Amino acid sequence: MVYATLLRPDEVAPLITVRDLTVNYASRGGAVTALDRVSLDIKENELLGVVGESGCGKSTLALAMIGLLPIPPAQVQNGAIEFKETDLVQLGPTRMREYRGTQIAMIFQEPLSSLNPVYKIGDQIAEAITIKKMREDGYSTVDSEIMQKTHKVVPPGVSKLPRAKRKIKAEIKEEVIASLKLVRIPDPDQVIDRYPFELSGGMRQRVMIAMALSQEPALLIADEPTTALDVTTQAQVLKLMKELMNKVKTSILLITHDLAVACQVADRVAVMYAGDIVETSNVYDLFSKPLHPYTQGLLSCLPTGSKRKIVLKPIPGSVPDLRTPIIGCKYESRCPYAMKSCSEKKPHLVEVEADHKVACYLHG
Amino acid sequence: MRQMEAILETVDLKKYFPVQRGINPFSKSRKFVRAVDGVNMTLWKGTTLAVVGESGCGKTTLARTIALLTKPTSGDVIFNGKSIVNGKTETRVVYRDLQIVFQDPESSLDPNITVGASIGEPLFGLMKWSKETVDNAIKKSLEVVGLPHDIADRLPGQLSGGQKQRVAIARAIGPQPKLVILDEPTSALDASVQAQILRLLLELQKEYSLSYMLITHNIAVAEYLSDFMLVMYSGDVVEYGQTEEIMAKPRHPYTIALISSAPIANPWKRNLLQVDIRGEVPSAINPPTGCKFHPRCPYAESICSQERPTLREISPGRLVACHFVEKTA
Repeated sequence: MVYATLLRPDEVAPLITVRDLTVNYASRGGAVTALDRVSLDIKENELLGVVGESGCGKSTLALAMIGLLPIPPAQVQNGAIEFKETDLVQLGPTRMREYRGTQIAMIFQEPLSSLNPVYKIGDQIAEAITIKKMREDGYSTVDSEIMQKTHKVVPPGVSKLPRAKRKIKAEIKEEVIASLKLVRIPDPDQVIDRYPFELSGGMRQRVMIAMALSQEPALLIADEPTTALDVTTQAQVLKLMKELMNKVKTSILLITHDLAVACQVADRVAVMYAGDIVETSNVYDLFSKPLHPYTQGLLSCLPTGSKRKIVLKPIPGSVPDLRTPIIGCKYESRCPYAMKSCSEKKPHLVEVEADHKVACYLHG
Repeated sequence: MRQMEAILETVDLKKYFPVQRGINPFSKSRKFVRAVDGVNMTLWKGTTLAVVGESGCGKTTLARTIALLTKPTSGDVIFNGKSIVNGKTETRVVYRDLQIVFQDPESSLDPNITVGASIGEPLFGLMKWSKETVDNAIKKSLEVVGLPHDIADRLPGQLSGGQKQRVAIARAIGPQPKLVILDEPTSALDASVQAQILRLLLELQKEYSLSYMLITHNIAVAEYLSDFMLVMYSGDVVEYGQTEEIMAKPRHPYTIALISSAPIANPWKRNLLQVDIRGEVPSAINPPTGCKFHPRCPYAESICSQERPTLREISPGRLVACHFVEKTA
């Protein structure tokens, strides 16, 4: 996927655009600004990595994009998320369900808590596939979900028996097995009869990917998908995601705390710090010439060799308290290049080079 | 290589945990999780040995057995020239020279006592120092780990994750130990805090000529901090040698897979997308016969499923447990 990053940004229309999104969480000590006027776009068939340390707002961004923010305490103060000429922020919870899981899918860090522990793997994927089929038959997503739950109208492909005793119909079963094959699960015809606890962590995450991709979403949000996995399994899952992205033509938003992971798979990377996006760039420029002092600091924190060869330069200080509003740049207190203007006004993301934006007064 | 003195040795160390099958508590069929299955290792004085492997490979059990937190099933641990298992040396004496830093400072610090009291406790208990000496030592320890003195009066809940890990390190180095076991010391921390802690650990090692046994799943951290590396897979040691040599040319097929699966922060070296490893870590209760790695190994032949390979020295100071080690040359 090298060629996608070589295209000029204006040649590809963005799939989803986040504009000036501000999200607050109410807390006892005052409102915490988790996202502070964040703007971002994801192009078609692109893997965008969002990296940052804990508490920088990267998960809040993901939840906002799929409409799963816990409101309250969360509150969208301002901004828009434009997806196919619709503003997702303005959609009510019912209309959002037309998009969630179907157009925008999500996989989470801990697959065991996202899978239903009392249903077999096959049934859970069959449900997703059935809903998709019904949608193709002209039912709305909400209708098909209700029908599945109440059994008042039996959707195609589902028998009338109670859920636990239902057998998946042959044509759906084939699709379930095909979707498990797609994510390279060995012996898929046996796996469909297993429960989530019987699978290993890597297999569970593959099932989640299979389920998410069975809807053929335009965007897949992956929130730390490999953090709970071992390194060899992580490599397998990331490789699989990258391959499937090209096969089923979807975009991926990969949220990760691990710069090295983003570096390995992403086409473009956005770096977040304390609720701000401080730098976005294609992955090559970000690592060869990082412009924001925070990105530079983060890169010099990475152990990339022996203690004899490299000296780690940790970033001094710690992340500011987000309950007290900061007028200027949030990195100012830790920044080696801080100037007078840094504490007076917040720098905005400016495009300094093709496809390389940075929010810092050192650069334009 | 210059003549080095061993500070820690294990001799065929085994730790099996019994598992109950079924619901009959009197059932005769006992099965075991072979968490540590005959480990021989040496840690040289003043160096860092990294024990790397994936979850469930037995690296933490190995550390806990050495630190006398669990009793070994068989085998021996020789620390400072003396056997320390089975009550041969008083634990209080052992802990003066051997300290541990755990992964999660959240749970290793008592939330109800002040940081100063936490650091002071081993100094009273193990060292039997007077109140005055301990107070000075607390201040000194805090200084050494880069924390202000007034933090001694605070509770762990008032500190950040990085500060708590610094306190845990301060507590470990207080009794002036010779060996510190670091069990995933930075995996609960963010990248920028991890860098601070790694740097601190290096400075302390230089200043007090400490020996470290570093338990980690993070290859980058192991490469950065260690001089020697021990790779474990499902309770077995599969490779041992100098870190630089192993990183430059891993020889056991599992080490090769492990190192090439570790993401590198270099977009021009996309090693992750080239990795070709099948399957996942096997069950520890019913591990594969012979070499435990053979179902996932690209070089496996019939002997691999029958005979367990022993660690052999393939070059000075480099040991590999593989029947076909010449294939990876």
